[in-house]
Amino acid sequence: MTNLILAILDRLQFLFRAMGADYRQLRAIVQVKLMMDNRRSIISLGRSGKQSAEKTNSFTRILGIYVFVGGLISLGMLTRSARELMFFPLTLQFSYIMSLCAMTLISDYSAVILDSSDNQIILPRPVSSRTLWLARIVHITSYLFAIALSLSAVGVLVIGYRFGALAGLFFLALSLLSAVLMVFMTNVFYLILMRFISEEKLREIINYVQIVMAVLFYGGYQLLPRLMDSETMLTEALSHQWWHFAIPPMWMAGAVELVVMPVVDQTHLIYLLLALLMPVGGLWFMNRFLTLDFTQKLSSIDQESRPNQSEQPVGQTESSLVDRLSDWITTTPLERAAFSFTWRITGRDRKFKLKTYPQLGFGLAYVVVMSIQGQRLGNSGFFYLFALYFAGIYVMVAQYQLSISDNYRASWVYGSAPIQKPGDVLSGSLKALIIKLLTPFYILLASYILFRYGTNKAPDVVLAFFNSLIMLISAALLSTRHLPFSVAPDVVKRSNTARGLLIGIILGAVGFSHYGLRLIPYGVPGAIPIAMVLFWFLFRQYRRTGWPQIEME
Amino acid sequence: MTNDQPVIQLINIHKSYGDTPVLQGINLSVTAGQVVGYIGPNGAGKSTTLKILIGMLPDYTGEATVLGLDVRTHALDIKRRIGYVPENAALYDTLTPLEYLNFVGQLYDLDRSHIERKALDLLRIFQLADHANARMTTFSKGMRQKVLLISGLLHNPDVIFLDEPLSGLDANAVVLVKEIIRQLANSGKTIFYSSHIMDVVEKISDRIIIIAQGQIIADGTFAELQQQRPESLEQLFAQLTGSDGQTTVAEEFIQALNQ
Repeated sequence: MTNLILAILDRLQFLFRAMGADYRQLRAIVQVKLMMDNRRSIISLGRSGKQSAEKTNSFTRILGIYVFVGGLISLGMLTRSARELMFFPLTLQFSYIMSLCAMTLISDYSAVILDSSDNQIILPRPVSSRTLWLARIVHITSYLFAIALSLSAVGVLVIGYRFGALAGLFFLALSLLSAVLMVFMTNVFYLILMRFISEEKLREIINYVQIVMAVLFYGGYQLLPRLMDSETMLTEALSHQWWHFAIPPMWMAGAVELVVMPVVDQTHLIYLLLALLMPVGGLWFMNRFLTLDFTQKLSSIDQESRPNQSEQPVGQTESSLVDRLSDWITTTPLERAAFSFTWRITGRDRKFKLKTYPQLGFGLAYVVVMSIQGQRLGNSGFFYLFALYFAGIYVMVAQYQLSISDNYRASWVYGSAPIQKPGDVLSGSLKALIIKLLTPFYILLASYILFRYGTNKAPDVVLAFFNSLIMLISAALLSTRHLPFSVAPDVVKRSNTARGLLIGIILGAVGFSHYGLRLIPYGVPGAIPIAMVLFWFLFRQYRRTGWPQIEME
Repeated sequence: MTNDQPVIQLINIHKSYGDTPVLQGINLSVTAGQVVGYIGPNGAGKSTTLKILIGMLPDYTGEATVLGLDVRTHALDIKRRIGYVPENAALYDTLTPLEYLNFVGQLYDLDRSHIERKALDLLRIFQLADHANARMTTFSKGMRQKVLLISGLLHNPDVIFLDEPLSGLDANAVVLVKEIIRQLANSGKTIFYSSHIMDVVEKISDRIIIIAQGQIIADGTFAELQQQRPESLEQLFAQLTGSDGQTTVAEEFIQALNQ
């Protein structure tokens, strides 16, 4: 793919020259970046929450999935509607493309565009602000184009077949412009953010913004089309409202409709104008005004990493809460150390938070959306059970993340310290995870379930909680045991598939037995103590883990 | 450029990170062909000075010129003619040395085949020829440092800024790099480097500048500095930077351990 991208860039070099970049430098930077992406795993290119892809093959695999999913949408939407009813299906298609591009940008924007990790490598070289900025935009846009292309591939064929090659090509071009438009909008968003937030806090806050945006986008995308009355939208021509001009996917849809119909009236011309002008004009605007002090901004981001002498001591209240909790919950000093260690790192490690918290958010959003949406499914007798167990999967992702850290090299300390029972480290760290993440998550979920399906479901919720604990501990027992934060980010993935399969089987078995218990009088309340004992037993097993069972780097 | 014009000049440089002042009025001027050792305790502002000189930190007050050009307005022109080797072995380690050097060379608009030949030669001299096509993830700190040194010198710069250039190198490589620095200076290039290793600084510097808390507290040849206090540079450094009496501190440390 790298060669293809570079070949395309070579064709377009006059464009970059016109924009004021040094093309040879730009090409060198893009080439090196793509080369490195191929070699290391791509952190969360694709969907932010999903397991990060490994090597290009899995990026290709993600693209394959996008072709498939985008194809389904295109086949479902674009084939049925009559020529004059294409507007709404097209809007959906473009909003899907834009959502996925935005998701990718949100999770990767700060990693790619505001990356300060290579400040030491690139900033001392004679590379201008504009060249570096454009190189980074090209780098991330090449991924976005691949995503947009694969999402619209089938759509292009459908449109091309039904309405002629010209319409197909136009649809293709607008899909790519959608990606450019998303780059512009994310850029503006982050720049506004940077304006209002002091630079020291920026990185930390970007992290939270990413989490919130990821959840909002996901939830919004799932929810919006369902809230609208999609049947009437598909069967009746849409009367264009003024506020439609504020919705980017509608520009694209309107512009395509102009070619498809073909119709030339004021409304459609405005759509066409917006669809073409906004991305191109946005790009010009960014290049003209935002790149001037780009390298300066980059080097100032780096400054916060300097040790700050006047930094205030860590808040006393927080640490004493952790200490008191660990007093109650842990038994040995080693377990206690692992507990507070895990507690603190899970609260501070940006990567851990970015990979875990959005997942939990997705879990909740998914349950809520599912229960509102399909009326039949949402109201069926077992949906709330499904929801309770389904959400458990998301907690396991956190358990899986627990062993991963960028600072995995620091785990030498486990090796050099005289630790006799490494099981204590594992159990302390798992306890922290249960108390800090799993319990609050379950309380939220349980409140929603009890609110929606009635308080008489309380025993089910309690049993499901303990069953989830059992699944969590089984997952921990079944997978390779690593000490907390001791594994380099891309090593763990190897045993992933088999483990996922096993967990799936256990999940199914436990869920079905729970369903069966409901048919027996007092089955569910009766099973709670058994589940507790089983959990206690398994936990004790886990705690007995000895050195031979632990895999160190 | 005439010889008497300073190659590096700093006039009353102030710089702070947030509310923390880092540099508080640095004044210095270096002429061509000098090897300047820039030393000071951790956090004294050494790396900050270097970053200002190579145009990475434009928000300082005062005047900074390199090769007669203002750092703020001519950053790109300066960057083309200087070399910089950062301290913490920052390079793209998923690349091979050849790929990395090729990349860096392209940033200086050097001819591709030319870079490749030169890079291979330099790697061979540093005894990395066998590793020229291996990814640097497996490299030791010394090997990375060698690649880093080459990447900073590849475009044959007139002024060379080195931040802790000998870190991680084995004894033989240290001797080699010291000799390279000497010969570069003899051929008229200016070398400005910071280090913590006092006996190296003592031996290869034409001029030693000591800073502490963002201010220059000593400046001169080793002989000149010695005239003030006839001791080794290490002792001189300790006295000047106010960390005299390390023996008592060491005793304190041992006592705290024994508690």
